[in-house]
Amino acid sequence: MYILPQEERLELECKALAARKNVLRMIKAGTSGHVGGALSIIDTITALYFKVMKIDPANPQWGGRDRFVLSAGHKCLAAYAVLAERGFFEKEVLDSYGSLNSKIPGHPDMNKLPGVESNTGALGHGLSIGVGMALGLKVDGGGQKVFVAMGDGELAEGSNWEAAAAASHHKLDNLLVFVDRNRLQIGGLTVDVMSYEPLYERWKAFGWKVQTINGHDMKAIVESATNAPAAPGKPTCIILDTVKSKGLSFAENQVDYHYWKANQDQMAQADKDLAEIEARLTCKVN
Amino acid sequence: MQSELRDPRKTFGEALVAVGEKLPNVVALSADSSSGSGMSPFQKKFPERHFEFGIMEQGIVGISAGLATTGKIPFFVAIAPFVTSRPFEMFRNDLGYMRQNVKVVGRCAGMTYSDLGATHQSLEDVAIIRTIPGVTVVNPGCPIEIIKATHAIAEHVGPVYMKLGGPKMEVLFQEDYDFQLGKGVTMMDGSDVTIIGTGTVLQKAHSAAQLLTKKGVSVRLINIHTIKPLDEELILKAARETKQIVTVEEHYLAGGLGSAIAELLALNCPTRMRMIGVDDQFASNGPYEELLGLYGLQPEQIAETVTTFIQ
Repeated sequence: MYILPQEERLELECKALAARKNVLRMIKAGTSGHVGGALSIIDTITALYFKVMKIDPANPQWGGRDRFVLSAGHKCLAAYAVLAERGFFEKEVLDSYGSLNSKIPGHPDMNKLPGVESNTGALGHGLSIGVGMALGLKVDGGGQKVFVAMGDGELAEGSNWEAAAAASHHKLDNLLVFVDRNRLQIGGLTVDVMSYEPLYERWKAFGWKVQTINGHDMKAIVESATNAPAAPGKPTCIILDTVKSKGLSFAENQVDYHYWKANQDQMAQADKDLAEIEARLTCKVN
Repeated sequence: MQSELRDPRKTFGEALVAVGEKLPNVVALSADSSSGSGMSPFQKKFPERHFEFGIMEQGIVGISAGLATTGKIPFFVAIAPFVTSRPFEMFRNDLGYMRQNVKVVGRCAGMTYSDLGATHQSLEDVAIIRTIPGVTVVNPGCPIEIIKATHAIAEHVGPVYMKLGGPKMEVLFQEDYDFQLGKGVTMMDGSDVTIIGTGTVLQKAHSAAQLLTKKGVSVRLINIHTIKPLDEELILKAARETKQIVTVEEHYLAGGLGSAIAELLALNCPTRMRMIGVDDQFASNGPYEELLGLYGLQPEQIAETVTTFIQ
């Protein structure tokens, strides 16, 4: 049973802060973006790339690597932010967000940016792709794991449940899904738009080992991901209870910030919010 | 006199086993469709390389993309509309946009399921799949071509859609026939008119060309087994030399082989054309050969259309 040491937890929180700053950097360049979901999943992506996954930023195609699929591809600001922080590409690329032929489009393109594993954004694709990856890697016996991050609004796409059934049928215990339950989607509360609650019971009924954690708690994220599979022969689903737009005082839990067209005052407040987190964490982040 | 007839699914299935022996990364994906798709011999020979998913075609296309990222060469074979129009967006994004090395085979395409009606027929598969950048679209016209094409698409790196008919097909080519993806084949040379056929009705076009030859028409017959990328050079040459073109396909007129050729010729060599296929309607139901006749796809009808068309 892996336990995350306290000093590493603080280190990861600082990395997540740096990644949040990278998100603002991209929005400053592009003037708008899907900030809400990016900031609800960014702690998990940080934990994966800085602690949990076997990867080599210098060799993004290394065959022995673990895979990350961002099924809710509109949250790619978070993925770009973490990949840049982890050294997959130069941070200057972040300043190209929104510009012609940028390597970091509004939904990720694996053929444009090293480190991206799939072209997601159309919802309901990532889990199937992740199932295929997990199956291919498992039959080859290399021990790699596949991590998929999904949105909770995304769960209404029926194709997800095809993939969910396939994963347990084929006993893909090298597959781990995070459901980013920030409880909001474009039209309002997910339970009002189209409820897939109770999530825990639904995933369990599909044959998955399910856990619910605080999606902003580095210790919980790292330990649950590292200790998976908790049930050999079963894929793992970790439901992340999260806050949409986490870290931005004016946008947290606000449905209007699914997609943010930033004005100067808001951006100044956002910078201030992150500076306050930085002061609290007592780490210095560039 | 009719030459040898062979079952296209059985032929494909045997070819897939041979491909599997040659390429260890080839895997077969089934939507509760392996036996009907000719994949039972592959499943028997390579049980560890055959994966069953049940009836979830959207999921399987995504899964095939994921498998391909790990170096596998997945063959996903099922009834044509269920691997093309149903999971179209997965085909577009996960195979096309992601550029994954997956081979999707739509079997019993066209009006094979003649009596089961339009839900099971596919007269739009070429039209929709050829809009996806980077996807090769193959439509073999005889059993020998199915064998050659199965090997060729397995060795080609990139997403492929291959369509197969259901009824037995006439052997039109020799075993040593040189099949190359993207290269059309001139089966008969002539100067009055060019007939371009593809897939299941290549044999009908071939018979029609023979009927016309007997009547003294100098027919050039071209087999286009690869609809994308199209053999532009061969088609433009035929347009320039024979000045008149008739296309024959078991597909909608919108978006199929004739449409692809019309796009080419309109921009590069405007040419008199007639397209034979199914026009804007859901095809009817009934015996297969009679359905073909309903849409003018029997040899005598093709010959008649060509006769009234040519100047």
